Amino acid sequence: MLARYSVRELVHRPLRTILALLGVAVATAMLVDMLMLAGGIQRSFAELLSARGYELRISPKGTLPFDTEATIPNFASLMDTLAATNGVAGVGPVLASAVILAHGDGAAPSDLSVRAIALGIDPTEQGLFRLIDGEDPVENEVLLDQPTAEAFGVALGDMVEMRVAGGLDVAGRSAQMRVSGIGEFLYAARGDVPIAVPLEELQLLTGKLDRVSFAMIRVAEDAEAEAVRTELAGAARVEVVTLAGIVAQANERLSYFRQLALILGSVSLIVTSLLVGTIMAVSVSERLGTIAALRAIGISRRSIVGSLTAESLILCALAGAAGLGLGVIVAEYLETILSDFPGLPLAVEFFVLRPESLATAYVLLLAVGSVAGLVPAWRATQLEVATLLHAEEP
Amino acid sequence: MRRDRPWFARPAQFARSGTLALCLAASGFVPRAGFAQSPEGSGCPPNLEVLVEAPFAASRGIEPGHELRVRANPDGETCLARVAGLFTPPADPSKLVIERPRVLFHLPQLATLTGRADEVDHFTVRLTPGLDFRAIAEQLEPLLPGTQVLTTAEVANQSSTTFLVVSRFHRAIGIITLIAGGVFLACIMILKVQERRAPIAAARLVGIPRSMLMGWTIAEAAMVSTIGGILGLGLGIAASRIINVYYQRVYETTLVFSHVTVDMILQAVALAIVLGMAAGVYAAQRLVSADALQEVGR
Repeated sequence: MLARYSVRELVHRPLRTILALLGVAVATAMLVDMLMLAGGIQRSFAELLSARGYELRISPKGTLPFDTEATIPNFASLMDTLAATNGVAGVGPVLASAVILAHGDGAAPSDLSVRAIALGIDPTEQGLFRLIDGEDPVENEVLLDQPTAEAFGVALGDMVEMRVAGGLDVAGRSAQMRVSGIGEFLYAARGDVPIAVPLEELQLLTGKLDRVSFAMIRVAEDAEAEAVRTELAGAARVEVVTLAGIVAQANERLSYFRQLALILGSVSLIVTSLLVGTIMAVSVSERLGTIAALRAIGISRRSIVGSLTAESLILCALAGAAGLGLGVIVAEYLETILSDFPGLPLAVEFFVLRPESLATAYVLLLAVGSVAGLVPAWRATQLEVATLLHAEEP
Repeated sequence: MRRDRPWFARPAQFARSGTLALCLAASGFVPRAGFAQSPEGSGCPPNLEVLVEAPFAASRGIEPGHELRVRANPDGETCLARVAGLFTPPADPSKLVIERPRVLFHLPQLATLTGRADEVDHFTVRLTPGLDFRAIAEQLEPLLPGTQVLTTAEVANQSSTTFLVVSRFHRAIGIITLIAGGVFLACIMILKVQERRAPIAAARLVGIPRSMLMGWTIAEAAMVSTIGGILGLGLGIAASRIINVYYQRVYETTLVFSHVTVDMILQAVALAIVLGMAAGVYAAQRLVSADALQEVGR
């Protein structure tokens, strides 16, 4: 009966109820978004890194892959060391270099040239792209991504020109390449124009013979990545990191978002507790006479407190459900803003929608709401019945 | 003028000055270099001197006159460099996440050390003021194969992308927070006014005109929202100071992370007063319009 009375009170004060629902819904949306942000990029980045199964990365000492323009020299002899290391199942070397990709001789309006990032790879061991159409590039061949192929208006089998973009000593070097395939480059950022070519060709073109920017290492199924990393780090003068190590370093660079998520999430909970607590305090204050009368006829304190707390729970449950939906919509909007983060692979997301985030937000909201409603309810039942009844006399 | 960088380098961009800066891993007095190196023609330059970044030097106890051992790569020749002095880098937001300290060399000495004679990563050109910089850049680029010629504004624009994205994100969060705060404020003000139902009804029965009651209620709403706004302002300014102190310590920088301006203060207080009064006016109107006898009898 008291619960029905509480619901009637919410309905009887539509403006107050609507504003409270709206306030709690917005606070819940903020809480959901912050929970999604707190672990989103870390999870998303880890999934991206492990998508192709290469558990280790080696790069020039003191750097991470693509951190600088440094290269690892004498890679052929390093390969011998890698092959002799226990637990190494495969090695995918990568040389990255800026190039100019051109189609046509520049005479026609449709001729195009763009600055691209050439990735010299071993097609049999690579984890940088997924083949969508055609074949992996071999000698004198290049693999493009879909947007580049469309922008150039080229199809499989067409010819494009690749020119070296940097270094006076290699300026002017170029090669005619046949488009062998179309691929999805996993680590391409917005605005990037990635292409894949055979490693040896890029090394020849850029003059970086026997050099690579980094290498991806596939660990054998019966081996531990950390154990292989330790053995490699001792055997070779290169930086060896596991995927977890890369994620941890990236996480540290983007720790600002985790801290922001913690602060704003806490603020959301505080705002919710204040709003619900204030509404319940006023609501209880208006019904002191009713509460006193119920106690006078023998209804227990526990029942009264329970019923009043149920009112705040109903408020939070309704507002929370709306807030979850609102949070998902707002997260999509915020994601479009952060996806412009320079240098971040398009596949990485800041806001990752997981059922655990939604459930955690909802449970936290209900917990905070019930505590916020419990306090004024409990205080009201501690007052003297006779004094209350006397004060409420008309 | 500079060369392109793949994706992972951009969140930790290195802005190199006119001298070629060798970036060191922070590991004691044997810094390691992650740097492109040509073995041919490299060696230890005579009288090698360096300037060390002051915060790093302070953390490692490095002082002018100390000797450092430097190598261009892990397998390279170790050279002794005398610390000629310390330098304080300008506060640059793009340097915040760089973990390796910076060391400045004389360009010819670094070129000798790394075997990169007659080579630089970028250089700057000072032009006569008033000229069309973009037009000159377009004239220069074909004359310098393998380079990209950019104006300072273009470089600043590209370097600022990260912070523009973060600013937009902050603005979006701010708008959401403002909406939540506005709704909260309106709700509280309506509750506040509705609590005065019985006294207002009694005052009307006694003969006090509605306009006077409205005036009192609105004045009360204005007072509550002004005081609340000012208290909230104090809280915001204190939080801004705490943010600056904390992050300046974490990143060892003098950059200002949070900045409260007079405009922001005026906007915040104005919004609090306007929202609070609007809610108060609406609730007061409803109250004075209600049946006084019925309100008293509640």
